[in-house]
Amino acid sequence: MRLLLVEDDAMIGESVRAGLQQDGFAVDWVQDGRAAELAMDANAYDTLLLDLGLPRKTGLEVLAALRRRGNTIPVLILTARDAVTDRVKGLDAGADDYLVKPFDLEELAARVRALLRRKSGSADPVIHVGELSLNPATHEVSLAGKPVSLSAREFALMHALAARPGVVYSRAQLEEKLYGWGQEVESNTVEVYVHALRRKLGAHMIQNVRGVGYMVPKQP
Amino acid sequence: MSSIRRQLLLWLLCGLALAVVVAGARIYTQTLDEANELFDYHLQQMAASLPNDSFGPLPPSSAAELGAEDGLVVQIWDRNGLELYFSRPASKLPQRAELGFSTVNTPRGSWRVFSALEQNNVVQVAQPMSVRQNLAAGMALRALGPLLALLPVLGILIWITIGRGLRPLDRIAAALGRRTPDSLEPLPEAGLPREIQPLVQALNELLGRLERALESQKAFVADAAHELRTPLTAVQLQIQLAERASTDIEREEAFSRLKRGQARAAHLVQQLLTLARQEPGITPPPHAPVDLAELARVVLSEYAPVAANRNISLAIGETAPASVSGDFEALRVMLGNLVDNAIRYTPEGGAVGIALRLRERKAVLEVSDTGPGIPPEDRARVFDRFYRREATHVAGSGLGLAIVKNIADRHRASILLEDCAPGPGLRVSVIFPQD
Repeated sequence: MRLLLVEDDAMIGESVRAGLQQDGFAVDWVQDGRAAELAMDANAYDTLLLDLGLPRKTGLEVLAALRRRGNTIPVLILTARDAVTDRVKGLDAGADDYLVKPFDLEELAARVRALLRRKSGSADPVIHVGELSLNPATHEVSLAGKPVSLSAREFALMHALAARPGVVYSRAQLEEKLYGWGQEVESNTVEVYVHALRRKLGAHMIQNVRGVGYMVPKQP
Repeated sequence: MSSIRRQLLLWLLCGLALAVVVAGARIYTQTLDEANELFDYHLQQMAASLPNDSFGPLPPSSAAELGAEDGLVVQIWDRNGLELYFSRPASKLPQRAELGFSTVNTPRGSWRVFSALEQNNVVQVAQPMSVRQNLAAGMALRALGPLLALLPVLGILIWITIGRGLRPLDRIAAALGRRTPDSLEPLPEAGLPREIQPLVQALNELLGRLERALESQKAFVADAAHELRTPLTAVQLQIQLAERASTDIEREEAFSRLKRGQARAAHLVQQLLTLARQEPGITPPPHAPVDLAELARVVLSEYAPVAANRNISLAIGETAPASVSGDFEALRVMLGNLVDNAIRYTPEGGAVGIALRLRERKAVLEVSDTGPGIPPEDRARVFDRFYRREATHVAGSGLGLAIVKNIADRHRASILLEDCAPGPGLRVSVIFPQD
């Protein structure tokens, strides 16, 4: 899952990016409102983490413009403004959640997962596809009740595919979900991970749609 | 405790009593004068109206009637000094040959005597002065009696009036007594006596000043709390990353981040404390002569390592001998902040200079750098607390120049921001007032 983090403070931005990457998210980080809009135009993100006090264009302005254009991306506001009126203003401007600084990395990751879950229309925190269950919070995977061990990248790829069964993702789209800016992407990595996943979960779990990409088939 | 009401009452009553005494004395003397005139005339008439023919001794009974009321006494002698008639043998007057009016002192008080020569006889009519004095005293007492009786009534009236006049003070005291420390709205000024209005106006002005001071303190605390959140958030995240680190390299990286975060939070707290200490009106600055050249040397040695670290040359240029009256510690913080800012914003390999000049006999402390400078439109705002210019990627608390401004203000010094010529760079001049 790929996130855009908009945070003007270098130390906070750096740490949040590092923390979320450890949780298996691909994170792009920009430091002002304009750069956030440019990044949103150029890439597809699953969630936007938005600070409010941004240079050049404030978080609320970015958010309002986004919603005006009909963009429905889940938005989580990260801010030091904790007054009730500020929270109300943020949520009413179109944010889905509001986290006040200082916050906990675990809580941030949990809220991001909750947003992603809601976006996919499911209330169950554990994703089930046939006999496979994936827990994004604990990264626990089981097949027919037996635990399976996946690496962070393998899990991220499986999570992206399993979140929307029946949807075909191109190789480039999957790479985007795995890597943030500046992270070295090795060639064939998606193929390598798909191969590993098929070996661990069974070949039928991920289908190759020739010339288009990969998908997890919908289970009856 | 002095009471306006009691004092006023005392003085008013004393004044009134004095007025009564003076008025009484005047009535007495005036009445006495008039009585003298009247009775003297009376004496004269009486002497003239006495029968001229032969006098024989009168029977004592009729003598008692004659002039008893006015205390009159009549004596008649013949030329030979033979007493012909005496109205009241008991109150015998000295025999006197002086004609006309005279006042005679006798063992029984003083007498007014009129003597006249009627044919061969000397006629003397006399009256005790006490009669006249009693008359005058009686007159004065009758006139002043009612006034004296009115004194207590007057006292009560004064007491009540002053009480009513001072009631607004009680109201103000009660209104102030009910207030909580943060209710600083002005007291109503309408309907107050003119004497109390200046007090209430002055109180309201003080309340206004207090409210503004409190507002600025509240704003400061709110700003400070808000600004502290950012470095604390960074530190919390850095701690969590350090906890999660599974390899030595990760851990090392996490701890080095954590150290930077901690240093930043500590710097902000330090700056906040400095700013709070330098807030105008909190403590008056100790004023002693400060040698500015010495100050520049102290700050230079303090920041030389920081500058060397960033490969920036830090030097003292012109040093005119100048000394100002002020607080050395505060001025050291001020110059330190200016030099710190200059070093932060100057690219590596640049130069920061401190100079001390005399301009129009005013001491001027200058810090110049070879950094990007501050555009003129931003120059007024950079002194605001927590104001950080956009697109600066230099870490800072946003308080440095606010601290500089506070300290300069306390020393009645002005600050000038200019472009260096030739550029690029910023020159900050702190211009001290002429001593």
